[in-house]
Amino acid sequence: MRRPTSLYRRLLTWLLLPLLGLGALMLVQAYLDARHTADRAFDRLLEAATLAIADRVQWQDDQLWLDLPPAALEMLATDAEERVFYALYDGDGNFITGNARLPGDERPDQGQGNRQEPLQGTLQDGARGDTLLYRDIEWHSLALRQGTRRSRLEDWSLQERFEVRVAHTREGREALTLSLLRGNLAYIAAMAALAIAALLLAIRSALAPLTRLRSAIRSRDPRALAPLELPLPRELAELRETVNDLLARMRRVRANQERFIGDASHQLRTPLAGLSTRAELALRQDDPIAWRGALEAMQTTSARTARLAGQLLSLTRLDNPEATPDLAPLDLNALARRATRDAWASCHRDGIDLGVEADEMPLMIDGVAWQLEEALTNLIDNARRYGAQHITVRVTDDPPTLAVDDDGPGIAKDQRLLVLRPFYRGRDGGEGSGLGLAIVDGIARGHKARLTLEPTANDTGLRVAVHFMGDRG
Amino acid sequence: MKLSDPLPGAGSRRLALILLKLSLLTLGLLLGAAPVWAEETLRFPGNATPSQPLERLTVHGALDIPQVRPLLEDFHQRFPFISLTYRNLTTLELNRRFLAAQTPSADVLISSAMPWQYRLANDGHAQPLTGARADAWPGWARWRHELFAVTFEPIVMVYRRELSERFGAPQSHAELLDLLEQHGEALRGRVVTYDPAKSGAGYSYAVEEARLSPRYWELVAALGATEAVLEETTGAMLKGLKEGKYWLGYNLLGSYAQNVVASDPALEMVIPKDYALVTQRLALIPQRARHPVTAQRFLDYLISEHGQRVIAERTALGAVHPALKGPGTANALKARLGNALRPIRLSPALLATLDDLKRRALLARWKREFRRWQVTDEGPSPSADEAGSPSYQSASVSEADDEANAARSGAP
Repeated sequence: MRRPTSLYRRLLTWLLLPLLGLGALMLVQAYLDARHTADRAFDRLLEAATLAIADRVQWQDDQLWLDLPPAALEMLATDAEERVFYALYDGDGNFITGNARLPGDERPDQGQGNRQEPLQGTLQDGARGDTLLYRDIEWHSLALRQGTRRSRLEDWSLQERFEVRVAHTREGREALTLSLLRGNLAYIAAMAALAIAALLLAIRSALAPLTRLRSAIRSRDPRALAPLELPLPRELAELRETVNDLLARMRRVRANQERFIGDASHQLRTPLAGLSTRAELALRQDDPIAWRGALEAMQTTSARTARLAGQLLSLTRLDNPEATPDLAPLDLNALARRATRDAWASCHRDGIDLGVEADEMPLMIDGVAWQLEEALTNLIDNARRYGAQHITVRVTDDPPTLAVDDDGPGIAKDQRLLVLRPFYRGRDGGEGSGLGLAIVDGIARGHKARLTLEPTANDTGLRVAVHFMGDRG
Repeated sequence: MKLSDPLPGAGSRRLALILLKLSLLTLGLLLGAAPVWAEETLRFPGNATPSQPLERLTVHGALDIPQVRPLLEDFHQRFPFISLTYRNLTTLELNRRFLAAQTPSADVLISSAMPWQYRLANDGHAQPLTGARADAWPGWARWRHELFAVTFEPIVMVYRRELSERFGAPQSHAELLDLLEQHGEALRGRVVTYDPAKSGAGYSYAVEEARLSPRYWELVAALGATEAVLEETTGAMLKGLKEGKYWLGYNLLGSYAQNVVASDPALEMVIPKDYALVTQRLALIPQRARHPVTAQRFLDYLISEHGQRVIAERTALGAVHPALKGPGTANALKARLGNALRPIRLSPALLATLDDLKRRALLARWKREFRRWQVTDEGPSPSADEAGSPSYQSASVSEADDEANAARSGAP
């Protein structure tokens, strides 16, 4: 079961996670910085101690001689009581004196000019042209920081090389690192607290317009379709405009419906009024022949009214966007022939030439047979009503198209969209209900097909065609 | 600490000569002092009780049995379930045994050879003692919770009545220098002090005093001018003083001199007023101790107020504990002498005293100053090599010998 996602929580997560990552990075950086600073501070002690020792190295009795200054060792032991080690080596790496045989500096001996950074530790030039190396070493399982000074005797003739190596344990450095880090930690923690507080406030204020929009929508009259009017930031203004577009469309749809209902009631009222009048007239007479005439006329009118009601019903059904017809494969050619055959008798009686041009081969499409038959009947009926003498039903391939050509007066170009609206009678004088093309249009939309109205090939009359865009069955 | 470290740069012939001299000297000392040196052992068998199983403890100390006995008896009384073995060794032997054995038999090491104890701890051979007492122990008498100074023994001057009657008693180094300069002729051969070349203790004191003031060298020169006799041990100095051979002894170990002076009305002991060196016995628990828990119990006892009171009242060693105020305590000495007391500091400077080249340089200077005003028939003064030839190891043997002698002569 997924919990509903929250914009607030999502924003918070995606802002906090990088913030925390950044904080962790800052901590690591602060630790490394503090360690580096502590090392730099304490390395000065190593430098001073090696210098103090190197100053006391002499040449005496044909050998290197050291009068070890105790202060040199004492300065290596701070309040943290570090362990201290020292050693003096000659230029060939022979141990002269010391309390520990500390490892040497593996760098090849080289001139001042081309020195290179060692892998670890720092290389410096001392005041006397000495080279200095600081590095961390592991000696008898003690972690030490070692300072090595390479120097040479400053004698009249002798230039004997020697190396002073001192080392001490890291307690003092660690204590300083910790105290530096503690200072930084307080700083980082304060920053983090401020950042998080700012973040919470920022998210809250950024999401506030959303709350306003919600309450604005909630507090509306459910029947009101007026556009939303409230100031919103750009991102939400787009949403507001979209909602307003939807509302506008709904307004149009409702206007259409209202007009349709008005038209429909008007259409039904007229024949009903006619029936009523006719019946009244007939009742005033006593002649059964007149009654018969009236009844016949009333039957015609009521039949037409019934058909009108039927058309209104099917139009309403077609307009319902939630009713999706069950499409089934069917042969368009057979359907065209069948509809033509059904209509042929009445056309023939009226002296209208109805023909069909359809292939023998089946042309399969997905559709609802009764709807397509109804559409075809409507189109043929329409053509007849508007005075066509020749009506041809055509089925063409690629894309599958069902067309009805007539040689009637046709429809002016600017009228062609309007005639699809219910109760609109583009052509004068007809006796149709004005629903036929609207129904055809509804059926075409139900089949995701395109309805076109255009003049026939020889530029007279009207061709109404339904182009099926979907896949062929 | 290797005995066989070759002296760098020395010619092989001279090296051979030095080694020969060294071995002869060591042999001579070994043979001569054998009865005194015989390993002295004190045992206190423990009694297990149902609630308390038996524990074992071995202590190696450079601290004579008569001095340590009251302390150990008291410890045994308080912890009867600990089977305690105390071995009195020389400082050299103590150090050598510790470094030689793969698994040390000692659980606690106590030694007056401060530089060596410091070096053992510095090299990481000691394990820390934690606890309220260890934390409360004064910082100047402790290093890293690993090294604890448990005694407080000033270095003193001892003089005979004859001296004070004729020239007055010197109460400070400055007065001593005046006395030597004014009456050098009368005191010829009547002043005695340590030979820093042969005694480790004498050498450590010389290092410390040379650091304290450059006037030390004037004092050395004045001692040389009166042809002061150089002895190797406090015991030998005390013997000569008792016999009347010497009138004035300079730089004697106070803890040993105290009892002798108390028993001889002709002798007086002076703790110099301008400055007085103080040496301390350092105790540590080796990293490889076999009974670390019991060792911690023992060391904790040594620095407890009770243990320190035993040291103050029943030995001449001097108690360090800050809460103790009576005679025989560091506080009493401090109250009397104030800033003049100069305890040898527990610092890496101790490592410098162990440096062989340092030792040779200092001894050369010492010899040179000592002979400055001497009218000699022998030609030029000897070189530094001669002064430096006996190594520190043999010197420390002498130091331990010193304690043994003192113990013998100082027994009540």
